Amino acid sequence: MPWSKFQQDYAAPTGGRTISYCAAVREAIDQAMGHDPRVFAIGLDADDKFGVFGSMANLSHPERVLGTPIAENAMTGVALGAALSGLRPIHVHLRNDFLLVAMDQIVNYVAKWEDMFDRQVRVPLVIRSIIGRGWGCGAQHSQALHGLFAQVPGLKVVMPSTPYDVKGLFLASVADDSPVLFLEHRWLYKNTGDVPEAIYTLPFGKCQRLHAGEGLTVVAASLAAVHARLACEGNGLDVDLLDPRTIKPLDIDTIVASVRRTGRLLVVDYDFPFGGFAAEVCAQVAERAHGALRQAPVRICFPDRGMPASGILERAYYPTPERLAAAMQNLLDGAPVADDLLVGGGHGR
Amino acid sequence: MQRTHTIDREAVLWMLRRMRLIRQTSERIAKLYATDVMETPVHLCIGQEAVSVGLCRHLTDRDKLFLGHRTHGPALAKGLPLPKLMAELYGRTSGCSHAFGGSMHLIDTEHGLPGSSAIVGGSIALGVGAALASSLTGGGFLGVSYFGDAATNAGVFYESLNFAALRKLPVLFLCEDNGWSNVMPKSAHSAHDITSVAERFLPVLQADGTDVLSVFDRAGAAVQHVRAGNGPMLLHCRTKRWMKHQGPDRCDLPENAVDPARDCPIVKLEAFATRSGMVRADECAAIERAIEAEIDAAIAFAEASPFPTPELLEA
Repeated sequence: MPWSKFQQDYAAPTGGRTISYCAAVREAIDQAMGHDPRVFAIGLDADDKFGVFGSMANLSHPERVLGTPIAENAMTGVALGAALSGLRPIHVHLRNDFLLVAMDQIVNYVAKWEDMFDRQVRVPLVIRSIIGRGWGCGAQHSQALHGLFAQVPGLKVVMPSTPYDVKGLFLASVADDSPVLFLEHRWLYKNTGDVPEAIYTLPFGKCQRLHAGEGLTVVAASLAAVHARLACEGNGLDVDLLDPRTIKPLDIDTIVASVRRTGRLLVVDYDFPFGGFAAEVCAQVAERAHGALRQAPVRICFPDRGMPASGILERAYYPTPERLAAAMQNLLDGAPVADDLLVGGGHGR
Repeated sequence: MQRTHTIDREAVLWMLRRMRLIRQTSERIAKLYATDVMETPVHLCIGQEAVSVGLCRHLTDRDKLFLGHRTHGPALAKGLPLPKLMAELYGRTSGCSHAFGGSMHLIDTEHGLPGSSAIVGGSIALGVGAALASSLTGGGFLGVSYFGDAATNAGVFYESLNFAALRKLPVLFLCEDNGWSNVMPKSAHSAHDITSVAERFLPVLQADGTDVLSVFDRAGAAVQHVRAGNGPMLLHCRTKRWMKHQGPDRCDLPENAVDPARDCPIVKLEAFATRSGMVRADECAAIERAIEAEIDAAIAFAEASPFPTPELLEA
């Protein structure tokens, strides 16, 4: 089934149909299954009546939606085996934390299979998972871990922030002949935006500019991008806000070009700090445009410890749009970011 | 045991050739290994040939066989051409995995070998996935998960049996039980009895993994069961690993003493073939000689093949 014929649009439309992030995911899955009979979905509670927080409710091809036992490791291998046998599986997880149970299959098998055999076989597998946060979900139901996965060769890591992006990038993930880790954020599910009804795909490795400015480059994906946008728009900040949309492949060229203009870099990354995505962006910018930086680059990440449960502790643990705005203002003023705004504290040093 | 699959001269010759191909290739590898022409770990199958050959006699090229790290035997049994194996061991671009796989990662999509894994246990799930694809598409092919006794200590084994049984998938689990986990004997690594545990999930058959006629017969029954849409099955074959876990040396521990008349699948098949009059002794000798020539040619092919160039890493 040809997936190449769909137009790859870069810019989000306006004035069209408005639907939620969740509905955009659901529509993408439904259209992928309708377009290509090789596409099927599998995962814990995939066929549950609640349909994975509504993202898979009432799909048009229920015969291709399979619930599984809680056995993420073997089920990942099952999805891989099916992908090697002519199908295009979507393996669904309710929480990113559950991916860790399947680390052997994801890292040793899924990510390596094409390299081990010089691409004589392809692995058109989408691993779709949802990042949680808050309401006391604690240390094992709130992790993002995209930095961990992006470190592994053979995995693309996609984390869209808008309804338009989530639909187009999901369809692009299904169309891709190699493994894609597709990470949605539960807190984005109710956000709405313009989404065309037709099937369309978006390219990997292309930043979206969410706010234009000249004083500071901010890089943020997924929920962090939405928070950073709120910070910019709510405070009229002179910030060039770039949402990479796919953290691997990474559109480093657009980021570097922005830093060359602004001379300053802040990476907001809702993940652990040590050796993570924010560190990677800082390293690549330093490698390519060290001389353009007027100030040391800054990371805002989660603290280097597991998520707490109590609301008081959660509110202290997580960055917020207000804290991001204050940090951005510090940088725009040419000042160091105040310690209490660097939620990640020592960044695991 | 009542035989359900009739054996004829053609089947005997096919199995004798394949077992000899595996045996003599393994022996040649062992002989050459010290010269370092093969820069890759080798897990040899000497003594275990009956299991893969008895099974593969019943498989077609469309059936998908997923292997663990002890690959050479089952891959050759399934149809991987010897020159492609040799070239892979020699690290040449003409190898089956184009020099990216090595001994433990063999592939041959034409013959239903979609790849093999060096992590014990995990590929069990891949055979189940192939069976799921067959089931969803009406593909009519089998998934075959081929693993050793030590893999049954891993959780993925149980997860795979459970899912296959729940969905009645067309998958055959083949346990090649050589009694060793790396350097540990089974008494030190498994508190469970494999067949009793597996029977909680699905029907199980057992064969003598040192006797290819036994494996041929039971594998025939198992493949017939799965192909007919009756759901998954496990075939357990107890065999003997003559070699150390890895490398060219024999495992000469007292508990691993080998008596060829009792343990060697080739000695036993040749005895049956000549005694029954199906194959003459001089034909057996001719097969042995022909395979030596085949191995010489495969090595010559590997040696004449180019090494990969570092630029390939950029692709």
